[in-house]
Amino acid sequence: MSLDHPQELLKPVNLRLIYLSFALAITAELIPLPVGSTRWMPDFVGLLLIYWAINQPRLVGVGTGFTIGLIADIATAGLFGQHALAYSISCYLAQMRQRQLVMFNLGQQSLVVLALLLTNQIIMVLARMATGAAFVGWHYFLPPLIGALLWPLLTKVLLAPYRQKH
Amino acid sequence: MEFSNTPSFFHHGPSPVARLAISVTLSLALLVGDSQFGLMERSREGLSVALYPLQQAVNLPVSAARHVGDFFVRQAELKTENDELKNRQLALAAQIVRLQAAERDLNELKKTNQLRISRNDQGQIAEVLYTGRDPFSHKIIIDKGEDAGLSTGQPVLDEAGLIGQVTRVQPLSAEVTLVTDKHQMVPVMIQRTGVRAILYGYGGGVEVRYLPPAADIKPGDLLQTSGIDGLYPAGLPVAKVTAVERGSGASFARITSTPLGGIDHGRFVLALPVRTVPAAVQPASAPATATPPPG
Repeated sequence: MSLDHPQELLKPVNLRLIYLSFALAITAELIPLPVGSTRWMPDFVGLLLIYWAINQPRLVGVGTGFTIGLIADIATAGLFGQHALAYSISCYLAQMRQRQLVMFNLGQQSLVVLALLLTNQIIMVLARMATGAAFVGWHYFLPPLIGALLWPLLTKVLLAPYRQKH
Repeated sequence: MEFSNTPSFFHHGPSPVARLAISVTLSLALLVGDSQFGLMERSREGLSVALYPLQQAVNLPVSAARHVGDFFVRQAELKTENDELKNRQLALAAQIVRLQAAERDLNELKKTNQLRISRNDQGQIAEVLYTGRDPFSHKIIIDKGEDAGLSTGQPVLDEAGLIGQVTRVQPLSAEVTLVTDKHQMVPVMIQRTGVRAILYGYGGGVEVRYLPPAADIKPGDLLQTSGIDGLYPAGLPVAKVTAVERGSGASFARITSTPLGGIDHGRFVLALPVRTVPAAVQPASAPATATPPPG
């Protein structure tokens, strides 16, 4: 429940929506997109994890990050453990400051999300470079920017099912 | 929620730090295991098999959309593609024509060569370079001349029959007067009966003259060289009778025939040596004074 909408009373969140959102995000990873779209496509799974870690800290935490990361590793056919490492760390960071983050407005949250997504990318780059890959280039850090810009929209969309119908 | 400075009312399992430590350790172990030992390859293979139907399901709308997109290809694209294909077709057609011509030449050459081999006298294969410039004299120029040992009077034939006779020899080429030339005469024999006659060219065709109306000749008869002039070898097919008119008022039958040899087509000819070379015998053709020497 986002506290930046104190005037609203929201319905309780159920686990099913969280699972569904992750399933959708991972399915989106599997969609074959035109070559080059990976250069700007934001990491929806990472974005969702941060969202739920901030807004549902009881349900989504480091363990969820790790599990979802493993699934993302399989889905993207990358290096095993790369997403798991990045997501568990970013989930931990989000959870550490969760009480402050829920009080931020959407703009401030976006900045934090940008930092967290950049952390994700940095961890993944380091993991890949440690295992012998070459640096892919600075465009690798463009998706976090787009993800942060999408943050307000994501918040609105995910809050929609919990708004009370008057 | 659990932080070290907040009192814990409920038990929530290990603290976030502990969870993070476990996760990071596991992740690092997986990373190392995957990159160093490839231990996960097989498990990933299994997982991707499980993932395959999902992937296919996800791909379905995308590929369907691609199909729809293919259906609505822009008209301009089709147009350009069509133009391109047309151009290519044109180029290919030209190529095919050239190929066909080459094939025809090859066949002809093969046949002529066979003809040369089948004869025990030494023939010379020659290529037709061009036809004479004068439309009134029926002559062709071949690419063999004195260099190949050609001499005037040699009969020239192709695989179908006699074409003409060498009438002028130049260093590198020779002039062949066709049987259809009006100065050209060939002593022939009707193959069926053995009746001898003379085949006259009349400028564009050949006819047998001076046969009595009662002569035994009918359309379809083959005329071949009789070989009694000491110039043409006997038995070369020359022409085929096409029509016989026996006018009651005329003293001779009017017998038209068509030459068998390729006098107006074909590119390769065979020049046979003169059978015997009596000094007295002149080439059957009169010197082509009307024609300026070609080439």
